[in-house]
Amino acid sequence: MRLSLILTERRNSFTFLCPSLKTHSTQKGIVVGTSNRIETVQAKRRKYVRSKYTLPEFLVFKLPLLIFVGLLYGMLVWTIVVSFSNWQGTAPNFDFAGFKWYRLMVGLDRFQVDVANNLKWLSLGVIPTVILAIFIAYLLELGSFRKLESYIRTLILYPVAMSFIVTGTIWSWMFDPDKGVLNTILRGVGLGALQGRFDTNPSTATYWLILIFVWQYLGFAVIILQASLRTADIHEMTESALIDGASRLRILLQIIIPNIRSGILVLVSLLLISTLKVFDIVYIVTFGGPGSATDVLAFYMLIATFQQHLVSLGAGIGVIIFLLAAIIVVPYTIYAFRKWFE
Amino acid sequence: MRKIVCVLIVLSVFSAVGASVASADRTLEIFHWWVGPGEREAADEWFKALHAKYPDIQVVENPVAGGGGVSQRVVLQGRLAAGLPPDTWQALGGAELKAYVDGGFVLPLDDLWAQLNYRKAIPGPLANTFKFNGHYYGIPLNMHIENIMYYNKKLFTELGLKEPKNFDDLMKVMAAIKKAKPQMYPLGLGTKEKWEAAFVLDGIILGEGGPQYYVKLFKGEIDVTKDKIFRTALEKLAQMKPYVYPYHSNLTWDQSVSLVVSGDAAMVSMGTWAIGAFLSNKWTPGVDFGAYTFPQGKDRYLLFHADSFVLPKGTAHPDTALDFLKVTASPDLQVPCDVVQGGLVARIDIDPKVFPDPIRQEMQAYIRDNPTKLILDQHGSIAPASFSSEYWTAIAGFMAADKPNIDKTIAQVDTLFKTYEVKKGAAWYVWP
Repeated sequence: MRLSLILTERRNSFTFLCPSLKTHSTQKGIVVGTSNRIETVQAKRRKYVRSKYTLPEFLVFKLPLLIFVGLLYGMLVWTIVVSFSNWQGTAPNFDFAGFKWYRLMVGLDRFQVDVANNLKWLSLGVIPTVILAIFIAYLLELGSFRKLESYIRTLILYPVAMSFIVTGTIWSWMFDPDKGVLNTILRGVGLGALQGRFDTNPSTATYWLILIFVWQYLGFAVIILQASLRTADIHEMTESALIDGASRLRILLQIIIPNIRSGILVLVSLLLISTLKVFDIVYIVTFGGPGSATDVLAFYMLIATFQQHLVSLGAGIGVIIFLLAAIIVVPYTIYAFRKWFE
Repeated sequence: MRKIVCVLIVLSVFSAVGASVASADRTLEIFHWWVGPGEREAADEWFKALHAKYPDIQVVENPVAGGGGVSQRVVLQGRLAAGLPPDTWQALGGAELKAYVDGGFVLPLDDLWAQLNYRKAIPGPLANTFKFNGHYYGIPLNMHIENIMYYNKKLFTELGLKEPKNFDDLMKVMAAIKKAKPQMYPLGLGTKEKWEAAFVLDGIILGEGGPQYYVKLFKGEIDVTKDKIFRTALEKLAQMKPYVYPYHSNLTWDQSVSLVVSGDAAMVSMGTWAIGAFLSNKWTPGVDFGAYTFPQGKDRYLLFHADSFVLPKGTAHPDTALDFLKVTASPDLQVPCDVVQGGLVARIDIDPKVFPDPIRQEMQAYIRDNPTKLILDQHGSIAPASFSSEYWTAIAGFMAADKPNIDKTIAQVDTLFKTYEVKKGAAWYVWP
């Protein structure tokens, strides 16, 4: 009953955006509402329909909605417009320039490095995180050290609670080849030969940054998978499988993973979105360096717009990021959610 | 309940509008990037100087954390595009100021320059970097010299080394340091902000090609693909690599100065602002560290860029902005502010003895006697920002690569010159 009421109210508040919803909502209100309360519902609805909406309602519910839609989608359209204009330098210039900036962008070495790096982030930021998270969640839920579970969970969940600014700074100190913790420890235990250059080596720097991401998101990933492990009746299934003589690995691959499929699907789409928009780790740890070795599209967007004063180029890079999201992340997410609801 | 919510919202909207309308007349809203150590104190000095002259001016600062100016430009560009300029802001003379002039955001200050006779008070090459289309814009308050090498003076005395005058000397000195102190890196460097590696290259280019060549190069008048001097300069930069701190991509400029203080490096190539960083590490100029401009020699040229403040178009308080600019042009502000921050003063009628350190005393006196030996540097100054930013990144990448690829870097720089139309964008600059 309560639900139907809320539903009716919500629908009504949308009617000014989409009038066709109104009749639909009217029917729904009646259908969903239980018979002894229909009159009340109708009375309430009539009141809303009559007055449309009052000023406070408009301010509290509709204005934020309008602002949200306006800001998000308005800016999206605006970015696309700017990327086809000729805005360079400090003053806005909206003369149509066609594909000028896109043509320029594709020819830039830096842009090619960025796309390659973004693809590295997409693959190496997601796959290892998911695989590690499956193993850790499996050990925590079904492994032999379940008593320690709450401690370990807290431990691996800590990084999630910190911002990238903090963890990025800490990791950049640890990575420092000269005075950083990692190399100092290696020297201390007599493994000086294993010392690395970490994020100062142009050819491997990006991988070290991705490592920070994996570390930071691992706890979050484990929590999601643990939750979906608990919703399935995993314990009974594994016990019967054990009695039937199945190996642990087989249980993991053939019982557990299929049962937490929905959790994995959701996790992958969340991680895909996070890796695609990666910016803060790069900004804090390497500032895109050495040279432009760890540059990503989001970082170059900042440099192009505000350091090079090529606003249209920056907007164009923004559109490319959006397209990457539209091509890779959105179809995947739709697929994942469809699977989930099957 | 509904009424309360309604009233609250209306009230908050009104108070926001009211606050922006009812601001005092003598407000000065200022954007600057001097927020780092040594720079913050300098900013305090300039407000002190302002208040000594105009006690009624209320300063509203919008300093943006991070220094260097990237974060500051993000906010400033948004404000300018929205038509809400602050009352004045900091801009480097040359290409950066030109970007604001071309955008129509700043007003010419010919009257103020004439009234203060400022053209005669400062060196000619400095004044020229504030002149566009025959008009003067902005008031410079300092000069930063860029082609300086700082060194650990006690170490040089210990090893019996002399200040190198040219590239070959420098290589010998670095080899001697490496031999005597294998744990030490002869040249400290930090390229996290990217522009630092280009400083080292600047000194080499100037030594290799001379002042005319330097200016022509960054005006985009030289075809680097066919040019021998630029190639030689890159080759020499690559030769220096074994002596340079190898993990430079992790360090910012102040951290590279700290390498000298901590004894990890013997020298560092940095602008005059490094003096402030040395001082904050309790190093005494002339005792703990020395400095020489590179290259030295009979044709000693100083590469410079200058900070300035501008008069925006459409500001809410043009009078306070003008008062501030008058103070900016005066020794009352320049002396305390520049002494603390680590630059040179813009006015040549100020006695070089105001500086506590022999390094700046000497340079300021040299400029007073040879004002024509100043050249605007490439640090955001001759070529447009679209070129400079990418040029720094290319040179920083060159220094970071395991095997610096000269052909590739030349091709890269050539593309940058052409893509960002440097020849057109830097045509305004005339030297001498």
